[in-house]
Amino acid sequence: MKTTKLIVGLAFSALSLTSITANAQDKFFQAVGTPYMPKVEIAFNRYYTYEGLVDNMKKIAAAHPDIAKIESIGKSYEGRDMMTLTITDFSTGPDTDKPAMWIDGNIHSNEIQGGEFALYAAWYLTEMHADNEFIQQLLKDKTFYITPTINPDARNDFFNQPNTANSPRSGMMVLDNDRDGLNGEDGMDDLDGDGHITMMIRKSPTGRFIKDPQDPRKLIMVGADKVGEYEMLGQEGTDGDGDGRVNDDGVGYYDPNRDWGWNWQPDYIQRGALRYPFTLPENRNIMEFVMKHPNIAGAQSFHNSGGMILRGPGAEEDVSTYNREDIRIYDAIASKGEEMIPGYRYLTVYKDLYSVFGGELDWFYGTRGVFTYSNELMNSYLYFHKPSQGRGQDEMFEVDELLTMGDAFVMWHEFEHPQFGTVEIGGFKKTFGRAHPGFLLEQDAHRNAAFTIYHAYHTPKLSVMDVKEEDLGGGLKAITATIFNERLMPTHASQDLKHHIERPDYVTISGAKVVAGFVVEDEDFKKFSEQKMNPEKIAVANIPGMTAVKVKWIVSSGSNYTITVDSAKGGKASWKK
Amino acid sequence: MRKLILSGLLIGSLGWSISANAQSDYPTLTQINQRLQKIGTNASAELSSLTKTEGGKDIWVLKIGTGEVDNKPAIAVVGGAEGFHVTSVELALQFAEKLVSEHVDALETTTFYVFPNMSPDAYAQYHDALKYERRGNAVSVDHDRDGTAGDNGYTDLDGNGMITWMRVEDPMGEYVISKDDDRVMVKADRSKGEAGTHSLYRESKDDDHDGKFAEDLTEGIAFNKSLTYKFPVFEPLAGDIPVAQKESRALLDYLFDQWNIFAFVTFSPANNLSSPLKYNAGDARKRIVTSILEKDQALNAMVSGVYNETISEKPYQQTNQGTDGDFFQWAYFHFGRLSFGTPGYWTPEFKSKSNSDANYLAWADSLGWEGVYTPWKEIQHPDFPGKKVEVGGINPFVKANAPFDQVGEIAEEHTDFILKLAEMQPKLEIHNVKVEDIGNGLTRISADLFNNSPIPTHSQMGERSRWLRKVRVDLQAPADRIVSGDKIQLIDVIGAYDKVELSWIVKGKEDVSVKAGASHAGFTQSTFKL
Repeated sequence: MKTTKLIVGLAFSALSLTSITANAQDKFFQAVGTPYMPKVEIAFNRYYTYEGLVDNMKKIAAAHPDIAKIESIGKSYEGRDMMTLTITDFSTGPDTDKPAMWIDGNIHSNEIQGGEFALYAAWYLTEMHADNEFIQQLLKDKTFYITPTINPDARNDFFNQPNTANSPRSGMMVLDNDRDGLNGEDGMDDLDGDGHITMMIRKSPTGRFIKDPQDPRKLIMVGADKVGEYEMLGQEGTDGDGDGRVNDDGVGYYDPNRDWGWNWQPDYIQRGALRYPFTLPENRNIMEFVMKHPNIAGAQSFHNSGGMILRGPGAEEDVSTYNREDIRIYDAIASKGEEMIPGYRYLTVYKDLYSVFGGELDWFYGTRGVFTYSNELMNSYLYFHKPSQGRGQDEMFEVDELLTMGDAFVMWHEFEHPQFGTVEIGGFKKTFGRAHPGFLLEQDAHRNAAFTIYHAYHTPKLSVMDVKEEDLGGGLKAITATIFNERLMPTHASQDLKHHIERPDYVTISGAKVVAGFVVEDEDFKKFSEQKMNPEKIAVANIPGMTAVKVKWIVSSGSNYTITVDSAKGGKASWKK
Repeated sequence: MRKLILSGLLIGSLGWSISANAQSDYPTLTQINQRLQKIGTNASAELSSLTKTEGGKDIWVLKIGTGEVDNKPAIAVVGGAEGFHVTSVELALQFAEKLVSEHVDALETTTFYVFPNMSPDAYAQYHDALKYERRGNAVSVDHDRDGTAGDNGYTDLDGNGMITWMRVEDPMGEYVISKDDDRVMVKADRSKGEAGTHSLYRESKDDDHDGKFAEDLTEGIAFNKSLTYKFPVFEPLAGDIPVAQKESRALLDYLFDQWNIFAFVTFSPANNLSSPLKYNAGDARKRIVTSILEKDQALNAMVSGVYNETISEKPYQQTNQGTDGDFFQWAYFHFGRLSFGTPGYWTPEFKSKSNSDANYLAWADSLGWEGVYTPWKEIQHPDFPGKKVEVGGINPFVKANAPFDQVGEIAEEHTDFILKLAEMQPKLEIHNVKVEDIGNGLTRISADLFNNSPIPTHSQMGERSRWLRKVRVDLQAPADRIVSGDKIQLIDVIGAYDKVELSWIVKGKEDVSVKAGASHAGFTQSTFKL
């Protein structure tokens, strides 16, 4: 059966692929859970620039036209197209008719691997679709909107320009960080030209450090009564504007994840905020896309690092926004995530991390009632499968010695500095620490993608069932229908209900003459609430997860009727007599 | 009895300000545009359109100044924060007209930005066939969040071309007819066991059949309810996202690029000039600051004193010191500038009436004003079959806006106030210059940088904001000549009539000069003869 399908599939695929797959059949054998003859080959042990990500996305859309399409949702600050893949089985209805999952990555430009992880999710869904029944059903029911990088300009800057592991966190807009009236006049200087901004040390008779005699990479502090050899000068760079400070006004600073329109606060309260919510075109493009896609019910925004599954609220001031019923669902999904992604912990931003006003996940939930997590990717647990011992850099030196063979470190080397004289430059590369080393990338991408798929699976799934008729005499009959939601998430989060964010769900009967219509509150005790206006289209405030809602009509005629449910976040379903 | 006669006379009268004669009434948008173009022909004024609203109307700014306009402290004057507040637009316009024609000397030290009308879509309703007090722009919004946008606005039930009120006889209602004045409806005093006799609504029908009246207006988002400070998310006229409208984004984007604004004067219902904002230590200390800061309150009080000396009308019932999402509070709390607001006009206290409607009508009666009130008249209302429904009450616009013939005098006084505020602006000067030869070709230079103004270079809030520049002192000498002292020095704040001591040691005998200042505090320059 599988083989037949495969052959049919191949017959329709591009000719050029045929010879490759023939060879592949001879040489490869499928490892469980991984597409073994993907139409699009992507190596998940390296990073991709913006162009690299888009190239792969276009290949995915071209290879899987029935389940994937690619579009630009707008331009970035520097004019790059923000590319989004829409993935769903288009044969079962348009993407907008199905509950949807939004996935993005890389909002902080140095937090690069969100791009590869989101791309992996897209690749996995499309490449597994042909053979995997779960994925087939999933894409019949759901839509995925995947935007691997929502900060394309500064993603490229991170790779192509000198940076540290922490820069740039913002996009490429240049502001006046030192408030001297000039913008970006003292950025980072890659003195040794290796693309990494590392550290500077200098020999000094009053220095308090020496190089560790057993490991010359390490600078260690001497004992309180000993004389040292080196002093620390800080980040590789110069005082570009002559104000006595090194690298104090470069790209940014602002934080794209303090730019969202829920409980937004200005910079003096929330460092990194810009002029007003959605000052950044990248975020505005997403906001406009989300407002136009009320079917989005779940969202994931990949960050790094630390191995966390985060939920809001970002700030204590918003504790009452997150209601108990919704937290129950957040907890249920995320606790599965902790099992699926070893070393990752489920945490709440404001109490376990730090305060964030105007963050993306709070906006998705606060303004749209969308269940949203941010996974902080990469965790030192992944190196030796041991919880971090809290030894900081020592642990990193060990990793680089045993697992990455010194590839992560720029060895100290002398440099004639225009302001400091002879210095030594060295330290960890920008691509180490926060970013996964290549050999850990694919596995963690899979686990995180699997978690977002689980998350998406639990967006609502509605069906109309158990339709019953009762003869009331006098030409009247009562029709009762059950609308069941067989997933964890409700059609309306309690935040949504509280503020009437999204319209009610409509349960409509057609093909019958309706005399009266009701929501059934208690069938056994015959408690109904009547809807006097338009009784054929019953407005149901919410269909909670794993729960049924009943509606009832009294009709005077109609034997071939149809009952449909239409929910913004819960999709559509119908029943026909 | 007298009241009754007056009310009788009002019927059929042409009306108060809604007369046909252009010169006796507030201008139309076209007339405003013509006046702006005329101001724009002045050499010191530059008129530009920041954007067009959803309704296709221009958002204008006049930048008025001479010389280095961007390096002089500036005051921004804003009108039309509320569309129904037509007086505010006229005040801003007349200020600009007077400035370019009668007060050009003020431009030697100060630059002015005038944003005459931030709500042109709503303003237009004043001249529309159907007149009502409108706040929202032309965007389509589902205010009651029922899935359909704008499906329950007002209805002119009595066909008089105005939206007033309707009262429904209803023993379950919350209102009674005022004992002070039978034209006025007041809330029944339940604390005294008083029963209500009427329900009171805006003149409307229940178009969307949800049991509510005029809860989903056909207007869009209100400028003065959709900025970021205390943004009332999901409320009618505010929407889901702050600063999401063309006009609000265009204005803010423009303001964030004008580094020289040190103060705002906003003509809108909020008033911190008749009396200053109140400092609350608890709210000022919180992470999300919701009280004016302590030092800034003192500044506000000082400026308020100047205002009350300048404006002849005694304040009455000026209790609005800001509403959620408004512009006046945004300018201080989120933009870090000194922010002053006044409606410019209010009904004076008259015959000690505590109810503001009764006070207004008594005052209007005494002046013989016509067209300010529609007598209650019974109508047939489709949503209240069998009930007595009457339409009437104070007409739109007349209470919030000055009679047009009074605006000239109000504008004159407010122009004086703004010019006095400009005279108080931060003013940096260099004093006590000492040039000492300390031998071997070295010279010590010391000087005081003095702020000769009752206003500090940065308000307490302004100090916190990244959107105000620090005072920057540049010693204009090559780096290799500076032995000690900073070539560039950044100063957080120089207080009112306060100074910062500067000192350098330089090599060589060529003169050096120093430039000090910030766009919003102005610049000063001095050359030291070595």
